[in-house]
This record gives sequence, structure tokens and C-alpha cells, in this order.
Amino acid sequence: MADNIPVATKALKEDFASDQDVRWCPGCGDYAILAQMKKVLPEIGIPREKVVFISGIGCASRFPYYINSYGFHTIHGRAPAVATGIKLANPELSVWIITGDGDSLSIGGNHLIHLCRRNLDVNVILFNNQIYGLTKGQYSPTSPLGKVTKTTPYGSIDRPFNPISLVLSAGATFVARTIDRDTKHMAEIFKRAAAHKGCSFVEVYQNCNIFNDGAYRLLTEPETKFDQVLYLEDGKPLIYGKEKNRALRSNGFEVETLELNESVENQDLPVHRENSESEAYAQWLSRIGDVPGLPVPVGVFRAVQRETYEQLSEQQLAGAIQKKGPGDLKQLFISGDTWKVE
Amino acid sequence: MEQTQAKTRERPKPFVLPEYCKGCGRCIEACPKHCIQLGTEINPESGLVPIIIDLAICNGCGLCYMACPEPYGLEKALVELMPDVEELDRHAYFGDAKPERPQPQPIPDTVVPLPKMEPLVTKGSYASAIGALLAGCRHFFGYPITPSTEGAELMAKLLPKLDGVFLQAVSEVATVNLMYGCGGAGLPCMTFTSSPGFSLMLEGVSYMIGAELPGVFVNVMRGGPGLGNIGPEQADIKLACRGLGHGNTHAVTLAPSSPQEMLDLTMLSFELTFKYRNPVIILADGYLGQMTGRVTLPDHMIKPGIPEWAVYGDEMHRGNLICSIQLSEPDLELHNLHLNKKYQQMIANEQRADLYYCEDAEILIVAANTPSRMAKGAVQQLREQGVRAGLFRPVTLWPFPVDYLRPLLNQVERIIVVEASNGQLEDELRLALSHAEAPNLPRIEHVRHFGGVLPQQQEIIDKVASREMLMA
Repeated sequence: MADNIPVATKALKEDFASDQDVRWCPGCGDYAILAQMKKVLPEIGIPREKVVFISGIGCASRFPYYINSYGFHTIHGRAPAVATGIKLANPELSVWIITGDGDSLSIGGNHLIHLCRRNLDVNVILFNNQIYGLTKGQYSPTSPLGKVTKTTPYGSIDRPFNPISLVLSAGATFVARTIDRDTKHMAEIFKRAAAHKGCSFVEVYQNCNIFNDGAYRLLTEPETKFDQVLYLEDGKPLIYGKEKNRALRSNGFEVETLELNESVENQDLPVHRENSESEAYAQWLSRIGDVPGLPVPVGVFRAVQRETYEQLSEQQLAGAIQKKGPGDLKQLFISGDTWKVE
Repeated sequence: MEQTQAKTRERPKPFVLPEYCKGCGRCIEACPKHCIQLGTEINPESGLVPIIIDLAICNGCGLCYMACPEPYGLEKALVELMPDVEELDRHAYFGDAKPERPQPQPIPDTVVPLPKMEPLVTKGSYASAIGALLAGCRHFFGYPITPSTEGAELMAKLLPKLDGVFLQAVSEVATVNLMYGCGGAGLPCMTFTSSPGFSLMLEGVSYMIGAELPGVFVNVMRGGPGLGNIGPEQADIKLACRGLGHGNTHAVTLAPSSPQEMLDLTMLSFELTFKYRNPVIILADGYLGQMTGRVTLPDHMIKPGIPEWAVYGDEMHRGNLICSIQLSEPDLELHNLHLNKKYQQMIANEQRADLYYCEDAEILIVAANTPSRMAKGAVQQLREQGVRAGLFRPVTLWPFPVDYLRPLLNQVERIIVVEASNGQLEDELRLALSHAEAPNLPRIEHVRHFGGVLPQQQEIIDKVASREMLMA
């Protein structure tokens, strides 16, 4: 009999590939994200049957079909609620929510903030392409002011969300950003998100080459990207530029740009702290990219340890049983004509 | 001892002006003697439940009127003997009364004649949007959902030029509430959506019906349940006809079958939604939204007025109240009776049907939306074969046009309901016949498809033939 028991072997990248035809447009940034996810999952070392991918609506939400694990293509915007149910029913699962800027910030905005607030141990990957792709090109909650789309023919007058700022305020304990074109960085961030105990949120800048091509061109083209992107590294100063010759630091609540030279040495600069106790620093950092002329920070904004919702839930149950003894439903039913709820 | 008593008597006792009291309960909490409680009756002027005070145990401490946040809610009596509120000399208490508020007057719609124009060749969803613009709709709220988004996109393009408002909501839940607000102001507004989105709107539709607000919902039905697909289906008939949210709700539900009707019925919807102060639903299907056809424009358009009940935000409409809450049971029953009366009027006045070769039909095919086009083809073919078939096409699904169907029952031997749902149209037909107490019903059969597959002409003909052969 023992011979028939399958031996658990380390999964390979191919093991996470499903038999489904991938139905994204050729050239879509989603392919890069899918490839990195398939690469990272075996490295994390969680067996396929312990992984579940949950999505809502939009192009990103086809993701669960393409990963050979458990998956659930749920209702418009409701993926965080479904994920909460799954995680509470089976806290051992590695739960990944795959969502987009429309799904999680518009119709599902409510559910996303409450997922972060509760600090459930799940991972949210938000594909931000600043457009509704699946419905063929309407503006989204991250489309910039003035953006011309099919439903904003005269330019958008909606101010966009900054997803990083939003989830920081909502209480996510791991908050990061990466770019579809920088696959190495993306893989690192996914690994960190998976390792983090608590609500991990990763915003991926993803190019929709059909309805919003080039939204992140400045951040990905070799001529411009070094001046436009600031890679965050824990314990290192906020340095960017092709020659690593420019730095940012705070002056009160303002951002100061410095040219590095003899008079300003690296050691004079404050360093990036992912686990800074105050959320204010991460918030300050998250808004830098909104300021014209300043680089967009990419990497881990914040990583702090807080008790997760499922830990607190288990503690509470254990406490209740310890205090009142284990409940007996049968005993309760036959205990008499009246029950006292106290 | 005596001194204390005398002092007590001197302290002014409170009295409540019921029309200003909002029943917030702060005085109830403040009162150390527990002589204040929440009333049981809604004040007809404020629509809210004011408090009642038992002055017998009141010691006039004054904590209650200090706690009252309303300028005139709870006042201290200036005279020792509390005057009867009804006989209160308001002038003595509050100074000059405000001048009489002007009574709201309806501003009627204006019909603007249009010159005769060449017909357009356009998509069903565009035709519907054009119909809405011609009916005077200048406010559009919606959320992108395939296969209905094109209508919204046309509105986004045209409305700003027409001094109108297009807003892409953050969800369908937001959409219907934007419509609640706009409809409350007495202005025509609409949305385009598709089945999952319509499900989300139903809570708000119930509130709009309760608050008696106009609004036009174009639901381009797609395959379900759940996420389903984006193919055509007719599986929201039960939602529109029987399940518009919670409570005793109904709304006129129209089923177009061509781009021309998408325009005509949208214009009609705006007329009906204001006529009855009730939402109107247009049920199209995935193909009708996309179907391109010749569309003749009407000879007029509408410049909408403002109804007298609107909460328009000016002096004249200041006294209007729009809400769906009726806390007292008898009041809510009266409100429901009033709504039911409107539904009865809709049933009496708004039944519409298109009858094709029905006058001598022995076999009656019943179909709506796109499937009725296949049914029409089938009838033509059957007639060529000498079979006395006819098409009964309900244009209003609710109220079901049973008044047009009943006279045919004497001659009809078979009814075949052709639909892209699991019998939702057939259920409407059966229910309507049952209510009409039609005797000797003919045999009712069906051709059904689901999930984006539509009944085909040949299938309908085969269905007719199957029994004909049996009989022969």
C-alpha cells in the first residue's frame, strides 16, 4: 500500500502551469506577472494544493485559470470578501487575491480597505494599468486627471487614487510596488509578500498595450527610467539616477532633492526603514511619486509585524472556551424551555 | 420645604413643537425624571416621530430643552400655565411668521417639433441613448459592463455638448443611488447596465419605487447565473417582473426587438416613468444592444419641465419630502395601497403587444426580444406552408398584455413560448392568464435556450411540426 502514496516532491515552475489557453492580448503586461508568479511559487515551497488564487473582475481576474492550484473567479469587486471567508475556514492556505485597479478600487473599494484593516494573512496583487481593459477602455480610479478614454472624451476630472497611500491608511502591514517590465524585482517582491505574515499588498504597474499603452513608459524606457524610478532598499538612503548621484530626503514634510557630491556624503542621508513604527514615513514616501519631477518609489514601502486576524480569532475562541468551557449544543437544546442569552 | 416647592412651581416646564422635533432622543437621555419618551405617531408635517412629555412628573429642571439641538424643538414655557400647542400664539413666541411659502407648481414638458430626417443606421444601444436624449434625458450614470457599455460611451460623448452630465459611477450600487438623487430632483435620468449590474441595482430600485422616483434602467440581458457570459439571454424577466428588490414593487417593463424599438421604447419609458413616478425597466438582450438597423427618428423631442413634487432645491419646492420610510404600520399600509393602485393603473393602461398574423392563428408563438425575430421568420415560413401560425409579441412584459391575448384564445389550439430562459416569459404568460381567469386554456409548449444560445427559426418550425405530425 505504501507504494501507492504519492511522494511529495518539490514542485517545479511547470507544475503551476494550467492547461488553459491564456486569453490576454498579445503584448499584455499580465504575461510577465503570470510568468514570475509561476517561477516564484515553487521557490516559496508551498504545495500546490495549499495555494488558492482568488480574483474578481477584469483582465487580471483571468489569472486563477492559468495557475494550476485552487482558484476562484468570484464576483465583481468581492474577491477580498471571498478570500476572507476562505482564509477563516482554512487558515493554513496561502491565499492570493489577484485584482485590478477597477476591481479593487472602484466596485470593490470597500472590501479592499476592510481586508487591510483586519490584517488577514493574505496577499493582494493589484495589476494597475490605469484603465478598464476588459470593457474596452473606460477610465478607472487610477486614471490620471485629464485622461481621455471612451467615457471621458473630454478628459477625466476624477482625481486618481494612490493605491499605496490608500492601503497604508487602511492598515496593510506589507506594502510594496513593482513594475511588470522589471521581472527580477517583481519576483523578489512576490517572495517577500508570500513570506510576510499579515495583509501583503503589492501594486504592479502593468501596461495595457491595447487601451492604455505607454502609461508607464517613463518608468520603463532605458533613457528615462533611472531618473524616474527610485528603488527602495531597507537600511539604505533614497538614492536614484543612472550614476546613483541623486538622493531624496525630507525637510519637514517637504521632499528635498540633493545632488550627491563631496559635500553630501551617503552617511549624511537618512535611510529607508521598512519597519518604521510610524506609518507617517511610508505615507510621505508613497506620495513622492505624485509630485511632478520626483521619481516614483518602487519596492517595499512598509513591512511591520502585527497580529493577524486569524491569530486573534483563534486566540479569542481559545479564550472563550477556557473561560466558559467547551460548548455543548445538544445540552443547550435540552436544557429547558427558556434560554438566557448573556 | 415650602420654599423649595414654590421654586419648583416657578421653574418653566418644557413643551414640544411636534413639527420641529426630530425625535433624536437627547432630551430623553437628559431627563432625570424619565418623563419624556419617543412618540408612536409620525408627525405628518415633518415625517418624523416627535417625543411626548408627561408633565405630571416634570419638575421643570430644564435639562431637556438645554439638550435639545433643534432651534424650536423643545422650548421652555414662558407662562406658568403651559398653553395648548394647537392654540399657541406663535407670533408671541417666535416673532413674525415667515411669509407663506409659494406652492410648488409643475413646469410642464415642452414638445419641440423635429424636421423630417433621413433614417439613421445605428446600433441598438446607440438608438436607445438617442431616444433618451430626445426624451430630454441630460443625466446619465453608469458603470461599464459588457454588452451594454456602448450606450454609456455615446452618452459620455454627447452629454457634455448638450449641457448634460455623464458620470461613470464607482459601481452599480452607486449608479442607482445617483439616479435616486437625480430622480428626486425631478429630472429625467437613466443608466445602461447588464444582468450582474442590474442585480446590484435592485436594492436602490426598491427604494426608488418606495420613494416614487422616476428613472429609466436599460438592462441589456446577458447569460447567467453569476458571472455567466456576455451572450444574449432573457433570464432577468423574473427580476424585472417579480423581483425588483424587496417590498411590494412593480415597474413597467418593456421588451424591444429592434434598434427602432430601442429608440421608441426608451422615449416611451421617460414618459411613463414621470407619469407614474415609478422606475421603468427596458429589457433588451445582448444581441439587441449590438444589432445595427435602420432607425427612423421621431417628429418631435421633449424639453422636460419640473414636476411639482420634485425636491429641486429652490424656495418653491422647499416643502417637498422624498423618502421611502414610513415607520407607522397604518401609514405604510396606506402607502402600499397607494402604490398598488398605481400598479393597477399600469395594468389597465400600459399593456402593449405586437400581433403578427394572429387574427386567424391556430398556433400562437409567443416570444419577445431577439427570439421574436426568429419566431417571426418561423411564422412566415409556416404560413407559406399553409399552417395557420401567428406571433404574439409582448412589448410590455409587465404588465403582461393579456388583454390582447384573451380574445385569441377561442381560436388558438396551441401556444408555443419561445425564449432564452428557463420559462420566465412562459411564467408571466401563465400567471397573467390565471389572473384573467381564462377558461379552456390551449396546450402551452415551449422552445427554450440558455447561456447565450438563442432559439432558431428551424427549431420553432420543428416544434410546430412535431405535434402536427402527431395529430395527422
